[in-house]
Amino acid sequence: MERKRAAAGISGMLAGITLLAACGGGGSEPTAPAAEGGKPAEVTFWGWAKGTQEVVDAFNKSHKDIQIRFEEIPSGNAGGYAKFSNAVKAGNAPDVMSIEYPQLPDFVNQGALQDITADVADVKGKYPASVFSLVELGGRTWSVPMDAAPQVFFYRKDLFEKNKIEVPKTWDDFKAAAEKVKKASDKARIATFFPDDPSVIAALAWQAGGKWFGTEGDAWKVAINDEATRKVADYWQGLVKDDLVKVQPSFSQEWNAAFEDDTLWGYVGANWGAGVMKGNHAGQSGKWAIAPIPNWGTPASGMLGGTTFGVAKNSKNAKAAVEVIKWLTGSPEAWTARLSSGTSSGFPAIADLVPVAAKSFDASFYGGQDIYALFTESYGTIQPGWTWGPSMVQTLTAFKDALGKVSTGGTTLPEVLETVQTATVNEIKGRGLNVAQP
Amino acid sequence: MLFVGPFFALFAAVIVAPLAYAVYLSLFSEKSSGLGFGGAETVFVGLGNYLDTLADRAFTDGFLIILGYCLFYIPLMIGGALGLALLLDSGLARAKKFFQLALFMPHIVPGVIAGLIWLYLYLPGISPIVDLLGGVNFLGGDQVLGSVVNIALWEWVGYNMIIYFAALQAIPAEVLEAARMDGAGAIRTALSVKVPLIRGAVITTVLFTIIGSLQLFTEPMVLDNVSDGIVSTWTPNMYAYNEAFGNNDYGQAGAASIILALLAAVLSYVVTRWGNRR
Repeated sequence: MERKRAAAGISGMLAGITLLAACGGGGSEPTAPAAEGGKPAEVTFWGWAKGTQEVVDAFNKSHKDIQIRFEEIPSGNAGGYAKFSNAVKAGNAPDVMSIEYPQLPDFVNQGALQDITADVADVKGKYPASVFSLVELGGRTWSVPMDAAPQVFFYRKDLFEKNKIEVPKTWDDFKAAAEKVKKASDKARIATFFPDDPSVIAALAWQAGGKWFGTEGDAWKVAINDEATRKVADYWQGLVKDDLVKVQPSFSQEWNAAFEDDTLWGYVGANWGAGVMKGNHAGQSGKWAIAPIPNWGTPASGMLGGTTFGVAKNSKNAKAAVEVIKWLTGSPEAWTARLSSGTSSGFPAIADLVPVAAKSFDASFYGGQDIYALFTESYGTIQPGWTWGPSMVQTLTAFKDALGKVSTGGTTLPEVLETVQTATVNEIKGRGLNVAQP
Repeated sequence: MLFVGPFFALFAAVIVAPLAYAVYLSLFSEKSSGLGFGGAETVFVGLGNYLDTLADRAFTDGFLIILGYCLFYIPLMIGGALGLALLLDSGLARAKKFFQLALFMPHIVPGVIAGLIWLYLYLPGISPIVDLLGGVNFLGGDQVLGSVVNIALWEWVGYNMIIYFAALQAIPAEVLEAARMDGAGAIRTALSVKVPLIRGAVITTVLFTIIGSLQLFTEPMVLDNVSDGIVSTWTPNMYAYNEAFGNNDYGQAGAASIILALLAAVLSYVVTRWGNRR
């Protein structure tokens, strides 16, 4: 007991010293919250992104006044969001929660997050407007972007070269390449259609210039079946029908097994897939390369994933929580720790931090390719003007339910768009929100 | 009073209180306005959630799935468990203790784990069985009901078998002797003497099986991630789960749960009455 108290006293003193130091540093540093009773402020944090434990350890080692208590939870769609909603309802939510871009409006609608507009005004300028606009809803800021997720195409360089298949630049090329892969080996396919992961379709629609949601005055516009998305749906429907792609659940054992036995030669994904592939298929080191995502004529990208951090409504530590978030998203130390873990290939949403990330990620799996240069290029082509809707959890579930029947021929992708459009409009109206439908 | 006190205390804490809270939740709804960024407010909607739930095809279709499941599952389950119990009870069986234990073993495995074990056996590319059978799609839209029934059978046949076996052991020896004296063979004795005598146990298990079927959740939930045939609202329980944790509509989830509970209560009543009359 005595010892513990002494230790707490010392850390309290240290906290005081850092506070003084911070004040002495020119005053530009935001004042750290006072540690109560000599104890450091504790900020609870829920997340699942790769390398997060390493980042938290680095934070706790370098900070005396605030300590993060990290709890790893299942990824959002695998139950993490349900856990968070429940905790908000029960009043025991963490201070800091990871929320991906699509689900942010959902949580703001629920009133699960605090308005942090004033607290983060100083970092807003570091982000490209097209990304920061995704966390500003109704003119207020609700969370801070950590990473962006430009789309890319992963492929087996050795097998493509051996069979003289050119890396596809456009979606037409992609189809031709898909045919060549199938011809080269009867069981092999160029990529996978994920019937369980509609966020890929969203990203592809985004890339093609689609806009699923928009606002008109104080009403939502819903256009999941817009022309660009229909083009994407027709295209993938064709690939599935002609048996040019595999149909497998994303990140399933089945999918991983297909990479291992050389029957899957590519993956239409995003930057963060680089860490996943490297971690899961260490034996294929040096055989993989990454190319820009195929396009419809001019280079373009959507965004597939990406995480932001928000402060839960009932957090009593909001000031400390915001400090933690700023460090997690915007400090070189955090990015070094995350990418040195070897499992993450995250791409910082703040462009200034990209060199830090590039230096920390070991790209020998990709034959030393400068993958961050590629990500940066793709990041620059992310189509502006995309907005996520207010009920994305429901929209994505409706998609997932309907997509199951695509592989068996029970429905087609263009039909799925109509189903989801109707379901989404009904859900949004059901919540009492305004919908402006033509 | 002193001895039933702990029972009532627990009953109130783990049954009555959650039930009352679910009823309470089911009478309210969260409403936002405009674009919704002003947050939501809770409004009293009376029976509105119940009407919405009953009008929702996704919810009512779940009962059709349950009906199909029961038609498939209950005869197989009761027939299988009864057959195994009669075999164990007959003079033919050897190593009775071993088989009792072996058949009961799957029941010890929690539903989630059972779902995961079978998931691996159903998954093409992983499962040794799928390849052996020439690529049968256990997880496809038409087959997945059978695959879920199969998991449930594996989990529950041993359990019901033990109940029947215990009931069979309790049949007085003189009754069986009388049957033998009258010239009844082993099969005749089993069907005309033993089965009618354990009718009570059979009815009890049918009742539990029906209620259990209404609550079908864990196994399809585990298979949902990989099966084309299972949607997020496949069974009424999954519907309630999805409303609460997918759509954050606790009111609708509460209403769906209460409707389900009422239905289970009515069904239990009907089955018990029907059983007692015979």
